[in-house]
Amino acid sequence: MLKTAFKFIKYDRAKSIGVVVGILISIFLIGQQIGILGFLTGLMGGIIDNSRADIGQIWVTDNITQNANQLTQLDARLVQEIRSIEGVENTFAVVAANSIVKFENGKTATVTIIGSKAPMFVGGPNPYKINKGKLHNLLLDKAIGAEFFDKKTFENDVEIGKRIEINGKEAFIQLQTKNARGFGGSFFFTTLSKARYYGNFPPNKVSAIAVQVKPGYDLTKVVKRINTTIFGVRAWEAKELKKTTIRFLTFSSNIGTSIGSLVIFAIISGFFIIGLTLYSSALDRIKDYGTLKAIGATDGYVRNLILLQSVIFALVGFSLAFLVLMGFKNGVQRSGLVINYSLLEVAGLFFITVFISVGGSFFAIKKINSVEPASVF
Amino acid sequence: MEIVASVANASKEYKTGDTIITALQPTTCDFKKNELTLIIGPSGSGKTTLLSLLGCVIFPTTGQVTICGQSTQGLSQRQLAQVRLKNIGFVFQGFNLLAPLNALENVMQPLLLLGIPRKEAKERAKEALKKVTMQDRMSNLPKMLSGGQKQRVAIARALVTNPSLMLCDEPTAALDIKSVAIVMEELKMLSTTSKSVAVVTHDLRLKQFADRIIYVNNGAVSNEPKEEEFIH
Repeated sequence: MLKTAFKFIKYDRAKSIGVVVGILISIFLIGQQIGILGFLTGLMGGIIDNSRADIGQIWVTDNITQNANQLTQLDARLVQEIRSIEGVENTFAVVAANSIVKFENGKTATVTIIGSKAPMFVGGPNPYKINKGKLHNLLLDKAIGAEFFDKKTFENDVEIGKRIEINGKEAFIQLQTKNARGFGGSFFFTTLSKARYYGNFPPNKVSAIAVQVKPGYDLTKVVKRINTTIFGVRAWEAKELKKTTIRFLTFSSNIGTSIGSLVIFAIISGFFIIGLTLYSSALDRIKDYGTLKAIGATDGYVRNLILLQSVIFALVGFSLAFLVLMGFKNGVQRSGLVINYSLLEVAGLFFITVFISVGGSFFAIKKINSVEPASVF
Repeated sequence: MEIVASVANASKEYKTGDTIITALQPTTCDFKKNELTLIIGPSGSGKTTLLSLLGCVIFPTTGQVTICGQSTQGLSQRQLAQVRLKNIGFVFQGFNLLAPLNALENVMQPLLLLGIPRKEAKERAKEALKKVTMQDRMSNLPKMLSGGQKQRVAIARALVTNPSLMLCDEPTAALDIKSVAIVMEELKMLSTTSKSVAVVTHDLRLKQFADRIIYVNNGAVSNEPKEEEFIH
């Protein structure tokens, strides 16, 4: 049956190409949108992603925050207070201060300076995101770390040794990160004291407190203990704060609705384009299917023959779409749009392909099922 | 002679709205081994309905159809498909070769439907094509064959499962005079190999190939021509 299905596909070349191109376009669009959504949600959770979540397993913020990118100030004494809670190994103050950076050519931009104590730098950058320089470079006088992909935003390079001004104060880029970015703003990483200095951040305040849990203690229980012990704050597991931030920003910015509707329309249009092309192709071959029935093929055989063709279309269309998506991924990566597809996303795209193709073939199957073998006489 | 197929008091009526159209009046006839039966009648006379009943592609409104001793009454569509596949070979007026498949693959189809392994099916299909002297064109798609060649491939497809009954619906209608003779000779030859061949036609020139003629007019079947047009 497989060979026969291939022959049917090969014979009706124009329509077969139409179906494959339909699948390719639909799946590419869906994959592209999912990739961009993944990239954006990655940025949304950037403040957590770029931090040392292996050390700062719990984040403490004010009790109304839903977005880690907009932290309000907390009393700095809480850093010590939380350290005294059972199960807490250590606490780290994190300062996130919005500032204006000015380059030597006069170009200005808004940045968020993230500061945390050396040598751990729990607020970031995560060592695996360092592109140039060493983490301890941040200990140098006037040192900050800047992001490689922000050079486009800044219209300036971000090479080591570059002199800049932050809120009118001289600073030097001594570390370059790659893909340690935030949502809607660039991150500069530095020490806690320098972040306060450059960001004009009060010395008795912090933006958040990262908490390291003692080995053997249950993370959830420590979170609960902090929440019940300290008034006016909220402790989160780092991944939970990231999730909440992404959820909050996805819905409040309408990115989720926008991309979600694009994906849904791509699925619907793909379903109908492919469905109608397969239907039209089946109509062209109606005499052949009728003949098959007349000479003894069952309805099931004919249905499977059409289904098999749709599965072949799905496999070919998905393979091509995946190749194009990889090309797109590699192409945009250079410009800083870093897209990564998880195995689950790839499996999801394949499922959508099969749904579009096999689902679309039901129009054709319904038509062919109604063909009587007697119709060939 | 052994009876391969029979219709007993079988009739066929179609309903269109309130109107009932009788396509075939209650008919009884047998089709025997080693016999080529011509079913002759003008267009719309009911001869194709008779063929469709014999071919198990429609059910009779009344009466019964028996193929190789098995009544088709009460059989499911799936069972009817099996009866067709195992016992009946079809040759159609428009050839009805599967356009995407070459001659060999067309002939292999009934065997593959029967579940015969591809390799064996290929060998048997080649043999069948040899019988109709089409072995040189087995890799050609139907569109590359002439009408006569297509019909010979169709005959090869019909006989490849070695059916007891071959039903041919106007097999020569789309052929030139030379091809008509070739195709009818082949059908005649097949009828001598323990098969019953039924040929529907309105071409009276085919009478010379027939062992028996059934006349159909206005849905009525008889063994003698009743109208002048049959005599020409």
